[in-house]
Amino acid sequence: MAAALLLVSSILFSCLAASCHGVTLSSLQKTLIVFVTASPSPGQVLKAGEDSITLTWSFNNSFPARTDSAYKTVQVKLCFAPISQQDRAWRKTEDNLVKDKTCQYKIVAKPYSPSNNTFSWTVQRDVPTGTYFVRAYAYNSADEEVAYGQTTDAHKTNNLFQVKAISGRHVSLDIASICFSSFSIVSLFGFFFLEKRRAKHSQEN
Amino acid sequence: MAGEENSPGSSMHGVTGKEQTFAFSVASDPTIPTDSTAKFALPVDSEHKSKVFKILSFANPHMRTFHLSWISFFTCFVSTFAAAPLVPIIRDDLNLTKTDIGNAGIASVSGSIFSRLVMGAACDLLGPRYACAFLIMLSAPTVFCMSFVSSAGGYIVVRFMIGFSLATFVSCQYWMSTMFNSRIIGLVNGTAAGWGNMGGGATQLLMPVLYELIRRAGATPFTAWRIAFFIPGWLHVIMGLLVLGLGQDLPDGNLSTLQKKGDVPKDQFSKVLWYAITNYRTWIFVLLYGMSLGVELTTDNVIAGYFFDRFDLKLHTAGTIAATFGMANIVSRPFGGLMSDIAARRFGMRGRLWNLWILQTAGGIFCICLGRANTLPLSITSMILFSIGAQAACGATFGIIPFLSRRSLGVISGLTGAGGNFGSGLTQLLFFTSSNYSTATGLSLMGIMIVACTIPVTLVHFPQWGSMFLPPSKDASKFNEESYYGSEWNEEEKEKGLHHGSLKFAENSRSERGRRVLSVSTPPNSTNSMCV
Repeated sequence: MAAALLLVSSILFSCLAASCHGVTLSSLQKTLIVFVTASPSPGQVLKAGEDSITLTWSFNNSFPARTDSAYKTVQVKLCFAPISQQDRAWRKTEDNLVKDKTCQYKIVAKPYSPSNNTFSWTVQRDVPTGTYFVRAYAYNSADEEVAYGQTTDAHKTNNLFQVKAISGRHVSLDIASICFSSFSIVSLFGFFFLEKRRAKHSQEN
Repeated sequence: MAGEENSPGSSMHGVTGKEQTFAFSVASDPTIPTDSTAKFALPVDSEHKSKVFKILSFANPHMRTFHLSWISFFTCFVSTFAAAPLVPIIRDDLNLTKTDIGNAGIASVSGSIFSRLVMGAACDLLGPRYACAFLIMLSAPTVFCMSFVSSAGGYIVVRFMIGFSLATFVSCQYWMSTMFNSRIIGLVNGTAAGWGNMGGGATQLLMPVLYELIRRAGATPFTAWRIAFFIPGWLHVIMGLLVLGLGQDLPDGNLSTLQKKGDVPKDQFSKVLWYAITNYRTWIFVLLYGMSLGVELTTDNVIAGYFFDRFDLKLHTAGTIAATFGMANIVSRPFGGLMSDIAARRFGMRGRLWNLWILQTAGGIFCICLGRANTLPLSITSMILFSIGAQAACGATFGIIPFLSRRSLGVISGLTGAGGNFGSGLTQLLFFTSSNYSTATGLSLMGIMIVACTIPVTLVHFPQWGSMFLPPSKDASKFNEESYYGSEWNEEEKEKGLHHGSLKFAENSRSERGRRVLSVSTPPNSTNSMCV
């Protein structure tokens, strides 16, 4: 069966193709130091759309001096802590960074400089409720990840902060919803009783 | 059949068991006399039911009823599965886990198990027009309730309540049976059911597009999805008003005329239920329909999210692909029934059973492929082939159900329909709620379950027609159609002549012998009793 052969060979080909590329997190050096200070005070639950966090990152000088020669740009991302990944396969951590879904929200992208990097970010309105940390990736000129740093430890247990999402509900929506629902019920029963009355009238006549 | 006032559940409305189930028209059939005094746009029989099925016409009342009916059913499918393509947004807004999403999917199909059973009684009492309008307009508030939802629990409850509206399937089929002659009712009902089921596909396309438009108009994502739900809600209200304003229960008018006739003997619900439950074939088909309609409903719930997560597509791209799954219903369900009829012409009931097994097993195999496909083109191809297999199997199932029983046909159809929803709840619970394996693995496992659970169709045996592997009984005088359908009545009932309808049906069902029917002579005792 030529069709079956074609199917099988295309499956094999795509499997091979997938494993050919993709930088893994474990291959990167943790050469950046990232700090985050939440405002107004640490430990407080941040409200999406209102509160902001201030980030600073710099090169860790305990590494040899020329390690950062290839770094061209830095991207800082908001990442899910393990507790927010539980029972949610769409936020799963994978070593292969192409498939990794830990860090889904981009905070900022800037050209690389070894020190004096700060950025103040108001938590976006589409960030969901959860527990987070911040990670910065350094990219080379080919846009591949070459190094990273994060605000928490390797097991992602300390220095986590919480975000509370905006509600999505609005009073105007609630009112509109009640209006349309009442219209539906009232017009249904109105129609029903009107027809019953008309039938009774025509029977009496 | 317009005047019977049977106890709930025993009504024959909406089901059929005559030969030639997929004829387009019996206008020229001499055995059905046309009532030439009636002034309708289409040729009608003595009960003023249409003898012709003209799809593109809106002639009042027959074709207008068809369109009102299938569009109402379509609308309910749209609202029941409206959340599915928006799950990637909703899960972030409400902080849902996979367990919550799975439970909501189960809830969305469970409600209608009960509402479909009640709907039959409602149609008998209020007439299909009011039954349909009541359901669709009373479920509109449940759709609007999505704007209030702020937690997983609320989400599950609202989806459960919206799911009740799927009972419009019953009013749709019932209403068709008051408007169309029973010789063409098979095709009419199959088309209405198929086009209604399409709503599950259309919603995957509609909701992401609405969401995009609303978001671009300035709303935040977490508000935009709530606003998007207003559109299915408005559709409910509009269709309800159209049904009330333009619809009528019967060709001649409304419910009051229904209650004046009454020339069909009343049957006992307990007996009807007994013969349905004690027929082992009923339970095999409950299982089978769970593996065709059930997996179709499950896939409607999970497929958009699957494409979004697995292939990193945009929301409306995932929705478009997912839509093709449900939209295939426009042809695949009628196709399944048609294949069943074609197989029956040559091989009789054995052909119908083989046809069902082949279609449903093929669907299962392609479901396994869908779960294992790693590239997008392969995945889409498998999904389309899976949809054709599963939906054609739905159509083929209802090509066989009418022959299981004559007396208990209504209850068996209802049980089978409930089995479909139950199968959907079960497959979602087993494969798509826990985090132990991915959605892709869940799909493959579901495919294996489909193949395994379709094997029982080999056990369905009719003494007069055989089964997949066994020929019919050699003793034709003892095991024939009359004895099979007559066995549902005891001697006392036979003496009262209550079984005549079954005997007439038995004679018509001889076509299920296939090509051999020409060489069969009618057993002498049946014709004698009919002359009495």
